[in-house]
Amino acid sequence: MRAFVPLFCSITISFSQSGLDIAQKLDNKERPQSVFSRISMVLTNSKNKSRENILLSKSNNIGKNQIIWVLEPKADRGISFLRKEYEDKDNEIRMWLPAFNKIRRINSNRMNDSFMGSDLSYEDLNSRVLSDNIYDRLNDELFNGIDCYVLNVTSKPELKSAYSKHILWVSKKNLTILKEQSFGKNDELKKVKIYSYKMVKSYELASKILVQDIQKNHKTEIYIDYISINTDVDSKLFRESSLKRIPRL
Amino acid sequence: MIAESSKSQESRFSKIVLDNPLKSILIPIFLTFILGSGLRFIIVDDNMMAMIPTKMESKMTWDAVQNEFGSTESIFIAFGKEGKNIFNKEALSQLWDVTRALEKIKEIEKVNSISNIPKILSNDGFLEIEDLQKNRELSEHTTEDIANYVNANSTIKNRMVSKHEDYFNIIIQPSPNVSHDILRHRVVQVGDSLLSMNYDIHYGGTAYITGSVPTMIKKDISTLIFIGLGLMCGILVLNIRNVFSVFLIFSIIIQSLIVMAGIMGWITYYTGSKYFYFTIINSSMPIILLTIANSDGVHFVTRFFKEMRSGKDTRQAISASIDKLLMPIFLTSITTISAFLALYFAPINQLLGYGVCLSIGILYAFILSVTFLPAAISFKKWNPESISISRESILEKTIRNIGVVIISNPVKILKTGLIIILFGFSGLMFVKVDVNIANFFKKGTEFRKSIDFIDEQMAGTMDFRVRVEGDVKDPGVLYEIEQLQNALKENPSINATYSIADAVKQMHFTLMDNNPEFNTIPKNGNKISNLLAMYSMSGDSDDLASIVDYNYNTSLITALSSVMSTDQIISFVDHIQSHVNNLEIIDRVSVTGMGVVIRDLIYLVIESSIISLVASLFGICFITSLFFKSMAWGMLSIIPLLSAIIINFGLMGFSGIYLSHVTALLSSVIIGVGVDFSIHYIYHFKANRFKDKSEKNSTETFNEVGYPIVLDSASNMSFGALIFSNFIPVQFVGGLMVFAMLATSVGTLTLLASLTEILKKKQIL
Repeated sequence: MRAFVPLFCSITISFSQSGLDIAQKLDNKERPQSVFSRISMVLTNSKNKSRENILLSKSNNIGKNQIIWVLEPKADRGISFLRKEYEDKDNEIRMWLPAFNKIRRINSNRMNDSFMGSDLSYEDLNSRVLSDNIYDRLNDELFNGIDCYVLNVTSKPELKSAYSKHILWVSKKNLTILKEQSFGKNDELKKVKIYSYKMVKSYELASKILVQDIQKNHKTEIYIDYISINTDVDSKLFRESSLKRIPRL
Repeated sequence: MIAESSKSQESRFSKIVLDNPLKSILIPIFLTFILGSGLRFIIVDDNMMAMIPTKMESKMTWDAVQNEFGSTESIFIAFGKEGKNIFNKEALSQLWDVTRALEKIKEIEKVNSISNIPKILSNDGFLEIEDLQKNRELSEHTTEDIANYVNANSTIKNRMVSKHEDYFNIIIQPSPNVSHDILRHRVVQVGDSLLSMNYDIHYGGTAYITGSVPTMIKKDISTLIFIGLGLMCGILVLNIRNVFSVFLIFSIIIQSLIVMAGIMGWITYYTGSKYFYFTIINSSMPIILLTIANSDGVHFVTRFFKEMRSGKDTRQAISASIDKLLMPIFLTSITTISAFLALYFAPINQLLGYGVCLSIGILYAFILSVTFLPAAISFKKWNPESISISRESILEKTIRNIGVVIISNPVKILKTGLIIILFGFSGLMFVKVDVNIANFFKKGTEFRKSIDFIDEQMAGTMDFRVRVEGDVKDPGVLYEIEQLQNALKENPSINATYSIADAVKQMHFTLMDNNPEFNTIPKNGNKISNLLAMYSMSGDSDDLASIVDYNYNTSLITALSSVMSTDQIISFVDHIQSHVNNLEIIDRVSVTGMGVVIRDLIYLVIESSIISLVASLFGICFITSLFFKSMAWGMLSIIPLLSAIIINFGLMGFSGIYLSHVTALLSSVIIGVGVDFSIHYIYHFKANRFKDKSEKNSTETFNEVGYPIVLDSASNMSFGALIFSNFIPVQFVGGLMVFAMLATSVGTLTLLASLTEILKKKQIL
């Protein structure tokens, strides 16, 4: 999941001048190959009403293959998703509906569609390809007292995106993204994401992500309750049959 | 010497006014200026919902619905060409443009049309939720696809395409707390600019009506009030035959109106209370105050001329007029004030502000009548030989002659009066309440045509909302929602209904590869849950926001209907309620919608009118009993009022004029004016009886008060000009106003005059 990509950012820092240099360093950061996590996702709407989903996620290939099982709410338990990112063809999402005993493919081409009613769109979930964007370095700023690079990431015209640009606040010390603002096609602020991190082994991984949809006044809080990295996540897991079996933690 | 001796007979009050005429003019003008400057703080609130008590059940449901599902008031734009199929490339491109243009308006929360709704389809193992119209420019093939999809989905078609497929409908949901007046303006601007060249356009929906009607009524009434004032002026000039005096009466009226409005602004400014906002209900205040202030002025001026005619000099005549009228005008003012302050007990909170401001206006008219008016009169050199002073007008002479007939035949007059009252009383049972807003407009007017079009060809102007509390993931709840929808559809006025049950059925049908057998609610709760989760993976989370709440615990059934009468709404809501009573699983159901809320509002207005009427009658009876130290006088004082109300509302019953919030204002006018007449009559009757115990005193009383009463009534009848209004209820008010004036003045000069005469002869009084 793109949103969880900062999970995999390493601590490595090096000084750079241009926006592209910083972006390259971010892209080159060492990340765990596989992740097994338990995630709480709390959705809150404009009327301050909330609902919570508890999910299990397994991914490998630096998040390009991912399978998610719904544990809660109880009525949805067993619903699962298989997501595969491809470079040469459209990404794939399959959904298992246990009550119907059916697997349905979901069209993930509509980049702006929401994932599970959250503020994360399919585009947010996908990894950002370095060459798809133009990176400009803006004036450095402090965010929550942390000295940050500020990058203006503009989508190239040929890129199919719901966004016109993103502004990233990247910690100089850890080279982790602390805040991201995403702007719509009319340059209106659409979303704000704020990340918190914790150290897991040698990796600095996101422990909490807050996504706010400014237009809809809706927010999504993602808490990583449990995380285990570089465990043995077999590539064979990422197929339809695995959707039907919820793994144990 | 004469002047000195007359001065010594003056009361202390007259002396103060007449010795300080400039101060008596300037101080009130200064006060008018200061108090009137509050005008700039007046807040005009066109939102009819603001005046509804928050504890009223349909309002509570309404608020809950608005809070959970967003605004349910809509504006519809229907466009097309009669007889020409609307499913064509050009029309869909226009629909695309209008929809996008409307989406940019900040007063609009959501726009729904065929060009921006999602389509759910199951295709080659894929479940897709995508835009029904993907681009502005379409091929013949995609146009046909859109038409086929809409035709296969009756829930969409009923709302968004006309019955003959020749018009598209765009549904516009306002943002929270937006003025419908502004919203309507913006929508019409966009609709007209983009569509009027090629298509016929019709606008409708409750937000369109509530955004249009108050402004239209205000404009219409403002014009007619000015015509009424002109007529009033003409009648007064014709009878008083002195322009300066009429000018003074008008200056009292205008100053009182300014102070009343200014006070409203000041109170709003200092308290911030919404009860003092100027709402549509307050629009009757100027007419009421105008009639009361006019009465004070007319009584004073006609009395002054009468005193002048009896050979007194100007100062003596003014002083005598003050002394003879100070108490009755004061008494009429406080009784009327007590009547309007009784609105404190009315269930509509806005009526508190209404009562307080009107009372201050009445008090100010009284102050002006006994200070400003006599002082201003004293500045002019009056010629006792002028026609206005030396000769009685034709009306005055006629009334004097009528008086002789009435006083000499009291029993016959009383019997005739009682027969008329009985007749009026029998009409009361035929009075019907109706607030059908479409009926505000004559058939054939542009506005009415649009409403009729939306009613006949589209889903309808009115809406009913049924709020259902119960877990939507429970199939039992969805079955009962479906049952309720079926019950709603039994009413022929209901053109379309939709709810979460429809959405779940469609998802089920699509997931099961468009097999019609599965166009049903799944029997298993987990299946419903799976369907909703599936939708959340592809659809916009907002798609379901208008039919189910975030936690799937409360849902909304919407029924769109043609305009119904109040009676139809009552029986329809009862019908729904009877179905609700049979439900077993759903926790709670409540019905609301603009029609239901307005129905309840009207009942509140009528309830408020009745409360104020009863409280006023008691108040007036009590105050007059206290002042005249006799319960009999108290009872007598309310007889003309009571009889006028009975006859007026009886007439409404017989003539089929509906009781609405507009026509209900007649009772306030009757109280305001009627109490003046009876108190003036009683006061002078008592005064004359004290002076002269012979039988002449009744005739004398009639001569003294008959003319000003009739003149006051005649001038107030100028508001019969409202009969030329474009709005039917306002026309009724115009006609009834004339009748109310007749009823109150004739009631006083026949019933009260004959009764006092009979009681006097029997030595009861």
